[in-house]
Amino acid sequence: MSSKPKIRELLNESGCAHSSSKKVACNAPTPGATTGGCAFEGAQISLFPYADAAHLVHGPMTCLGASWETRTTETSWQGRDFTQMGFTTDVNLNDVVFSGEKKLIESIDYIMQHYSPEAVFVYSTCVTALIGDDLDLICKQAAEKYGVPMVPVHAPGFVGGKNLGSRLGGEAVLRNLIGTKEPEKTTPFDINLIGEYNVTGDMWQYSHLLDELGIRILSTLSGDGRVADIRTAHRAKLNVIVCAKSLISLTRKLQERYGIPTISLSFYGKRDTSNGLLSIAEALGDADLIERTKELVAREEAALEEKLKPYQKVFAGKKAVLNTGGNKSWSIASALQDLGIEVVATAVKKATEADREKAREYLGENGVLMMNPGAEQAKLIDERGADLLLAGGRSLYTAIKKRIAFADVNQEKKKSYGGYNGLLALAEDLKNSLENPVFKLVSRRAPWEK
Amino acid sequence: MGEVRHKSNKPLQVNPIKLSQPMGATLAFLGIDSCMPLMHGGMGCTSFTKVFFTRHFCEPVAIQTSAVTDAIAVLDGGDYSIVESVKNITKKVNPSLIGLHTTGLPETKGDDVRGVAEKVEFPLVYVNTPDYEGGFESGWALTCKAIIEQLVEPSSSIDAKKIVILPHVSLQPIEVEKIKQTCESFGFSVYALPDLSTSLDGHLGEKQAALSSGGISVAEIKQLGDATLVLTVGDSMEKCAAVLQEKNPAMRHQHFSHLSGLEASDGLIELLLAESGIELPQSNIVRWRKRLQDAMLDSHFSLGQTRFLVAGEPDQLAGICQSLYEAGGRVAVAIATVDSPQLEKIRAAKVLVGDLEDAEKLAAEYDVIVGNFHCEALAQQLHKGLVTRGFPNWEQVGNALKNDLLYEGGAYFLFECANVAEEWRTHKASSDQCQS
Repeated sequence: MSSKPKIRELLNESGCAHSSSKKVACNAPTPGATTGGCAFEGAQISLFPYADAAHLVHGPMTCLGASWETRTTETSWQGRDFTQMGFTTDVNLNDVVFSGEKKLIESIDYIMQHYSPEAVFVYSTCVTALIGDDLDLICKQAAEKYGVPMVPVHAPGFVGGKNLGSRLGGEAVLRNLIGTKEPEKTTPFDINLIGEYNVTGDMWQYSHLLDELGIRILSTLSGDGRVADIRTAHRAKLNVIVCAKSLISLTRKLQERYGIPTISLSFYGKRDTSNGLLSIAEALGDADLIERTKELVAREEAALEEKLKPYQKVFAGKKAVLNTGGNKSWSIASALQDLGIEVVATAVKKATEADREKAREYLGENGVLMMNPGAEQAKLIDERGADLLLAGGRSLYTAIKKRIAFADVNQEKKKSYGGYNGLLALAEDLKNSLENPVFKLVSRRAPWEK
Repeated sequence: MGEVRHKSNKPLQVNPIKLSQPMGATLAFLGIDSCMPLMHGGMGCTSFTKVFFTRHFCEPVAIQTSAVTDAIAVLDGGDYSIVESVKNITKKVNPSLIGLHTTGLPETKGDDVRGVAEKVEFPLVYVNTPDYEGGFESGWALTCKAIIEQLVEPSSSIDAKKIVILPHVSLQPIEVEKIKQTCESFGFSVYALPDLSTSLDGHLGEKQAALSSGGISVAEIKQLGDATLVLTVGDSMEKCAAVLQEKNPAMRHQHFSHLSGLEASDGLIELLLAESGIELPQSNIVRWRKRLQDAMLDSHFSLGQTRFLVAGEPDQLAGICQSLYEAGGRVAVAIATVDSPQLEKIRAAKVLVGDLEDAEKLAAEYDVIVGNFHCEALAQQLHKGLVTRGFPNWEQVGNALKNDLLYEGGAYFLFECANVAEEWRTHKASSDQCQS
């Protein structure tokens, strides 16, 4: 039987709150009016962080050529870091006409002979899916030949967006890896971290705290992950989804098959980090653990408060407008509030119903939820007297025109804002933005302008 | 000129520097004012491309996708997705031109892009650029050719003061500007196609990335047919000139493989002196030539004892290697993204089509790398010096303003390479000392 997952089934995820209302994300894209990545990119995001596995992209040059070494997913893997390497069959016209299977087989051989990774993930793409190369068979034969897992990932770009691709990545892991190995030992506090990719080391901002509490990260999908660990994921006591709704299908199936319960949380900002740690402890249900977690949270919060003190003056009375999407519409808002900044508006155009509710909850009645941020943000900056605009790069000009400070919300791609310490990094960056004279100076009238 | 390997001997690419044809096409369309590049394929190709250029130029980048899905891929011949895309784009913005270019997906299923394009009642240029053929350079060149074929009006008159420049894909915006200005200083009116020098040069303006924010206008493109001379820069562009000459057989063509280093720069100035009848270039050009001569001498001692690896597009390699060669730099290995007739002319001991894994294997043969951002990890791992050049460069700012060509850019380039080489030697000396 083909290992290709049923797309329809994945799209109708019963675990999705919005699946009954038929809204948002999972619909077909509109030609000429679409932004966002494809299913292949989603699968790549969710699986590439396995640094001990080679990731072989079976397709033409755009798929990998423009996408390797784009994300700083950090790893403690001591061997060669495959997350920062690119492998692709770079199919050509000849392959398209006569099949790319031979090239794929030879490429897997090449990788095994030169790099001997712990596993190989083989990604189909639009072109190789269309010409019908048989990834399943090739992977099966290669796995027998080399005795390491060969995982076909069926997420060609044309099946849908990034979100669906992440699900398909999760599906490939579920079908081919999870449950194929027993852990050397188990503890009552074994968890799986799902959807944490350790971008810029986000996971390491809180993993030492879990460690201190005696909560063991049995496996991750896939930040600082190991193939050998995810194979044992079925023995965990709890699945923790970190900020990624896309992998909800995977965790639902893990619950059905192995009885592992799931909680969903975020480690962004002080409140969320504390809540996150506490909800893990509560879900594991050990009274002593809960007590110890409460103590740890109190200690960490106090330490953070102390370190944030020098910033209090800088942020007192400051107002911010936030223009981003998805769960960031409230998670960044929450972090800003933790710093003592008033969030007067946040964009919810690209957020789900649940995200909007949460944003309303955090911003309160007076906060504005912007449905059309491009047009609204400039006006709101004036009306509310905002001091700071946090948005993507293309809103920079709005801030300059209004002569207020600007912070690129995508900075977190270079630097971690996660956990307690991440809030300090955010505080420092925002302080630097607010103190930077550039936003007022750069729009000076030119000498020849009247 | 040494040994040349035109084809990789591996079944796959490991740590590729090769970029795809549709991405070259996108960039070409971004050199036209108020253009909307429309990539026909799955939405991921477009998303990757947008992010890629946004990070390289630190600028918003306009591009749209026909967002072909699996069902559409089977049922549609391109009619639905393309027509629908144009409809949806023009609902929101009013581009001067839509630049339709394909990817591997629609080409595999055999969409009749030309047929559909002819049905669209909106200014549109189409070009076939599957990503399973060619590369970045050919995508840009094919697009330039298509723009000329489909937009330039035939002409029988000649404007003796008008020059058209057709630059290759690896020239950064400021480099295109420098070529234009040099020609202008001889009294010519100069048009570059594509022209990134006024679109992706990184200027502060009210940009929302809705459309490309500068470049040559569609009206100017239509009128290119009366130029007296077309200058192609880079072997990938040579054929485009013939297409332009078909619009006006009286137009003459001059080709430059590159404009890097003293010899090539002299070549351009000689031509411009002859064409304009002027006897002496403007004083700053004369001055910069003297500075380049001095730079060559100042840097020759360092460069003469340094072995280089240069990685990039063929036309880019030709220029960089010549610059280094003239001041004694020893280019041990040049790694090209794709095959090109240009490879035979590259000043390097060894020229090969390959990837950064090949570079890694040849580590013993060079000291300093000239290549894109992906070479950074390699340089660190192998303890080599690095001069970052080419697409992409995501870690540094100011890429659009890096000028390596003609007298002025050449001088700066040699200084930078010599300084990196000296820094590398100092580091090496101190780490050798630690080890002994």
